[in-house]
Amino acid sequence: MNMGTDLAYNFVFKVVLIGESGVGKSNLLSRFTKNEFNHDSRTTIGVEFSTRSIQVDSITIKAQIWDTAGLERYRAITSAYYRGAVGALLVYDITKHLTYENVERWLKELYDHADPHIVVMLVGNKSDLGNVRTVPTEEAKVFAEAKGLLFMETSALESTNVESAFLEVLTAIHKKVASKEVTRGSISAVTLGQTLGPSSEFKEERRSCCNSS
Amino acid sequence: MGNPTLQASGKISSSWESTPGKNSGALSSTAAESAAGPPEEVLASASLMSGTLESLSGLGDDCSSLGSDSEINGPVRRTDKYGFLGGAQYSESSEAEIAVAVARQREMKWLDMFRNWDKWISRRFQKVKMRCRKGIPCSLRSKAWQLLSNSQELLDSNPGKFEELEQEQGDPKWLDIIEKDLHRQFPFHEMFAARGGHGQQDLYRILKAYTVYRPDEGYCQAQAPVAAVLLMHMPAEQAFWCLVQICEKYLPGYYSAGLEAIQLDGEIFFSLLRRVCPMAYRHLKKFKIDPILYMTEWFMCIFSRTLPWSCVLHVWDMFFCEGVKIVFRVGLVLLKQMLGSVDKLRELQGMYETMERLRNIPPECIREDVLVQEVVSLSVTEALIERECSVQVRKWRVSRGVLTHQPSRRLHGTRAIFEITGSRHLPRVSYHLVCTVLSPNAETGSIYYLAFFFFCFLEDGYLMDEISYIISSQFCCTECHGVHRPLAPSVPVQPHNPPLSITQKLPQPEYLNKTVLWREKHGGDNNLSLSVLEDLFIHCTVDC
Repeated sequence: MNMGTDLAYNFVFKVVLIGESGVGKSNLLSRFTKNEFNHDSRTTIGVEFSTRSIQVDSITIKAQIWDTAGLERYRAITSAYYRGAVGALLVYDITKHLTYENVERWLKELYDHADPHIVVMLVGNKSDLGNVRTVPTEEAKVFAEAKGLLFMETSALESTNVESAFLEVLTAIHKKVASKEVTRGSISAVTLGQTLGPSSEFKEERRSCCNSS
Repeated sequence: MGNPTLQASGKISSSWESTPGKNSGALSSTAAESAAGPPEEVLASASLMSGTLESLSGLGDDCSSLGSDSEINGPVRRTDKYGFLGGAQYSESSEAEIAVAVARQREMKWLDMFRNWDKWISRRFQKVKMRCRKGIPCSLRSKAWQLLSNSQELLDSNPGKFEELEQEQGDPKWLDIIEKDLHRQFPFHEMFAARGGHGQQDLYRILKAYTVYRPDEGYCQAQAPVAAVLLMHMPAEQAFWCLVQICEKYLPGYYSAGLEAIQLDGEIFFSLLRRVCPMAYRHLKKFKIDPILYMTEWFMCIFSRTLPWSCVLHVWDMFFCEGVKIVFRVGLVLLKQMLGSVDKLRELQGMYETMERLRNIPPECIREDVLVQEVVSLSVTEALIERECSVQVRKWRVSRGVLTHQPSRRLHGTRAIFEITGSRHLPRVSYHLVCTVLSPNAETGSIYYLAFFFFCFLEDGYLMDEISYIISSQFCCTECHGVHRPLAPSVPVQPHNPPLSITQKLPQPEYLNKTVLWREKHGGDNNLSLSVLEDLFIHCTVDC
């Protein structure tokens, strides 16, 4: 699987995975970035992340995917986590209705801490366990539309729709920034700030470097 | 090299209080240097492990244990000496083994300590500390941890309590989350690999018991790996009380709602980093990498998910004896190793690249002997941590408002735990290390002479133990951030003559004045300013 080379990307998009504990965020991350799945992946404590570069149109995008603990208690330490994120995958488990019911709370947390223009996709994971489903696809789809969210059902275990989900989110982000000026070949961490485009962000980084040395 | 005459450029601080005198200098940190993968088929079989998804909250009438991994999967799978079948913390068998005679000798020493534990803690604590720093013999680790943490006494004074806790229903909200986590702790360890196996069962028992014991605390996910490490060494009831001590004495508030304690420690940690390794500090600041983004798992799991297994155990040996100070030191040493030089930072010019490095620690940074040596010689003391804590608490209150967590509840290791147990009276023994800069040699120009005057305040005639580990420390100049290693002590340390024994009482107070003259070569400017020296002094106060 071509993960892309570090030298060749035009953009870096930071995407966060959020949702209740145990819905499969870590496996979505490992499936997308390493094509791995583990039944017994470790509980996420603190922050995990991984990257993968993909092609969107003729642009190379480096997706920086962040994963954190879903447990309520960890909400206290999330503001650093959301900083600079341009996309989010809000994940629930289709076999555990409670994880879907809590989506509203996660949305609120997301909008409290992240950029208001952040691209959000609602992801119903564990679609391989359709026989014990408790969240109807149609219901979730309607909810997502009403809230202006993208929607997809995935299975990290069987690798179903994982690529598509990330690709769709990254493409949507790219569309949002496409209008801004792009310096081809330069490394720019993108944020969906007001008027500043990627090249200005880069300049800003420079300034703080010099000051702190 | 010649031995030019020395002239004191200032007065030696004669105070044994914590306020540094004028014209005193100090020593600080270190720099230094100094390697794993399981066979494919082992990894493959470990990851394909999947048992049934039975809920453990209803074990049913027949509460028979479902057995260990080897019972379920057959004895074919081979583990390393710690029980790992594979995974990142699997140990290759290439580690050197200690000679049997040496191992026996160390065990005998520890058994002697166990037999007279109170006496050792009250009178020979430095020796206990030293032995923990050397690493506790595997065969005695379990008992040692329980004595160091005082969890054995807790168990003895709460007969039947654990059973009582087990019999309660428990809050379903916690039980649900605990169950989800059972198969996610050290899944490559043979004790926890089997779904519903006795390891996972015991994990459930003690995590559930804690939520019943402390209902307002409930469960925090980082408690699971900590509990799992304990279970690898002792049965459930003993592990439970040891967990209680960790959550209440060593790391209070770490697992509580709001996670204030860990955030506070993150701030303390970062500001200690500024002193210990300004280069790493600046780098992390430049790329806006908040401490909470990398130290959370380190601190909350006490490095059990970060280091090679032999290092984890060695760190825990020191942690149980000396408390959270060890956790701070390990973190600081790791950052210094990874981000402490221009060369290392060259490839890490970005937030992501830096964080990637922090998560994939190069093997040479985590060699057990190097790591322990660095940790032991880093001069970050309890006093320094507490001082920095007050600073950060003030800052918190100004910028974030109320702080519910009480940092003063934290106990810094075995002695502190013993002291508050009331019945024991422990004498205070304090050491203060004071340094003064003597004038540079006029001929050679760039040579400094630092005299370390070591005052030992003895109370009740108790002998201070070895100080060699202090002398091995290095210092860092805050002007040029150069790190200097002592070339050699030019005068050997003169022990008190005749040597003091613990039975000999001295009229108090008495000061032992030990002088060690080190020759340091300072490559930069000849004139270290006094303010720089005073700042350096703070690093060298040695805790008791």
